[in-house]
Amino acid sequence: MTGTAAGRPGLLSAEHVALIASGVSTIVASRNAQHQPSLMRAVGASITPQGDQITVYLNRVSASQVLDDLHDTGHIAVVFSEPYSHRTVQVKAGRVQLRDAGPDDAALLQRYLAAMEVQLQRIGFGASCTRTMLAHRLEDVVAVTFTPEQAYDQTPGPQAGARLADGGGKV
Amino acid sequence: MNAVTLDDIRPCLEGIIPAMIATCAPDGTPNVAYLSQVYYADSRHVALSFQFFNKTRQNILVNPHATLLLLHPQTFAFYRLRIRYLHTQTDGPLFEGMRAQLAGIASHSGMAGVFELKGADLYEVEDIEPVPGDCLDAPPPRSGLLGSVRRCSERLARCSALDEALDIVMTTLTQELQIRHALILLLDPALQRLYTVASHGYTASGVGSEIELGQGVIGMAAQARTPIRITHMTGASLYSHAVRRTLTDSQPGLTLETDIPYPGLAQPQSQMAVPLLCAGKLLGVVFVESTEALSLSCEDEDVLVTLAGHLGAAIELLRLDGDEVAPAGAGDTLLPCATDSRLLQVRRYRSNNSVFLNDSYLIKGVAGAIFWKLLNDYQQRGRTEFSNRELRLDASIGLPEVVDNLEARLILLERRLVEQAQPVRIEKTGRGQFKLCIGARLELIEAD
Repeated sequence: MTGTAAGRPGLLSAEHVALIASGVSTIVASRNAQHQPSLMRAVGASITPQGDQITVYLNRVSASQVLDDLHDTGHIAVVFSEPYSHRTVQVKAGRVQLRDAGPDDAALLQRYLAAMEVQLQRIGFGASCTRTMLAHRLEDVVAVTFTPEQAYDQTPGPQAGARLADGGGKV
Repeated sequence: MNAVTLDDIRPCLEGIIPAMIATCAPDGTPNVAYLSQVYYADSRHVALSFQFFNKTRQNILVNPHATLLLLHPQTFAFYRLRIRYLHTQTDGPLFEGMRAQLAGIASHSGMAGVFELKGADLYEVEDIEPVPGDCLDAPPPRSGLLGSVRRCSERLARCSALDEALDIVMTTLTQELQIRHALILLLDPALQRLYTVASHGYTASGVGSEIELGQGVIGMAAQARTPIRITHMTGASLYSHAVRRTLTDSQPGLTLETDIPYPGLAQPQSQMAVPLLCAGKLLGVVFVESTEALSLSCEDEDVLVTLAGHLGAAIELLRLDGDEVAPAGAGDTLLPCATDSRLLQVRRYRSNNSVFLNDSYLIKGVAGAIFWKLLNDYQQRGRTEFSNRELRLDASIGLPEVVDNLEARLILLERRLVEQAQPVRIEKTGRGQFKLCIGARLELIEAD
């Protein structure tokens, strides 16, 4: 089911909020009733300055299973990663809100695409690659909003997966 | 419409763009993680590296169902793979191959200890879904690779000497496969080190330069007896620098004059090292590299491993056959040796058989001992004609007890002399026979 969970302000550090807000690689996962996981790359993402609400944008054409699973179970896991530095954070929640994206979201999606073009340029991929990867029609896009309930540092290495306490410290 | 197979999407498994895996915990919480590489095990299985006991691993041990998201590095099309965890391998070819690959990558970043492989997690691929969406045009498929392999195999089957076999493989790599930088190294079984016997595409040939087993991509492929292919490298820590540094560190006694520099590229972006094996025995390594990322594909690996198999068999057969003597064909007329009255001072150090010509380093070890014997026979008895067989039987050379490739030592010596434009040459006069050409007055000096 969808809905709004109790907010956990302070779960993410200012640094993690900034990472997510800057427009980095965003991968969204869910699962069905049989616990078969599903996943797809988001075509956009945003976060409130306090870090208490995140919205990821999925293309219905390429992410139909993930959207079905999010609708049915509300369980979401999202990894945000900066391609050049591999700085990575994962957030999870048990409830999501789904809505169709509209004209108000277009500017945000454009900003995200521009940010990702810069990101991927740094690791050697041209703008045409990024545009192909993130291609969508606005009318196909669904906005998925949730309040992060858990957060994990997933920068590669032995510390990957360490759970973050309030304020972004490692547990 | 035909279903997509794992073989169709092998470029997605090149590790160019990290893959993503979604798993699900027993309480229903999904997890998503980046994978540095998904390994192709066979047409229906993939393997993931188990390095850390992370959430993905905890999840799949309880719930084996996972989903992979792959991106094609040329078309940028997505593929979703439904996979099921089967078991973890901690030995065998798949595990060794993955471990060597990781170690090879780690040798570039100085992180060898961190990226130790604990196991190879094997998954069955249950379904491959081409994700609907935009994509770029795929480059035209490469054709003619099998023809190149065939021509190389035919030439190897006809050749009757090691230098020909090395030239055939080198020509196939550089002219048919358009690989611009290549080395062939052979194993010194006594010292357990690899020495460069043929090279192409480097400013200095590096023939005679040595690499320890386990050192860098070349030494790692030899030690683990498995191919290692690195398709793209960060410029941070570079292999050739690491090799030079570790060479010096590990052998403080190795004086600079007898250190033939390793010829590798300063800034390689792709590298592949394939072991030369025969009957399970390590014979050497074929190594190729490029200044361009992504220039060595899984198809190049298939070709190189196949060629290495043929070359390994040829090396072993020719070694066993090496003492057979056959005169050169009638068409092979040898040019007379140039004559000159210049003085050439030859100094040999007994401790390591290193030989210096007019104070410049030529060669050491077995090849140095051979050269010293030849020059002494010439100086004392005026001999210029020799056979491989007599060298093998000559105790003064001190060939190692273990089986050694005498012909490879002669090739090394011959090439070093040519490279240095010395007035002394070795010229083959037929199978298992050669002539010493001396265009100088010799002064032979021995030192400890």
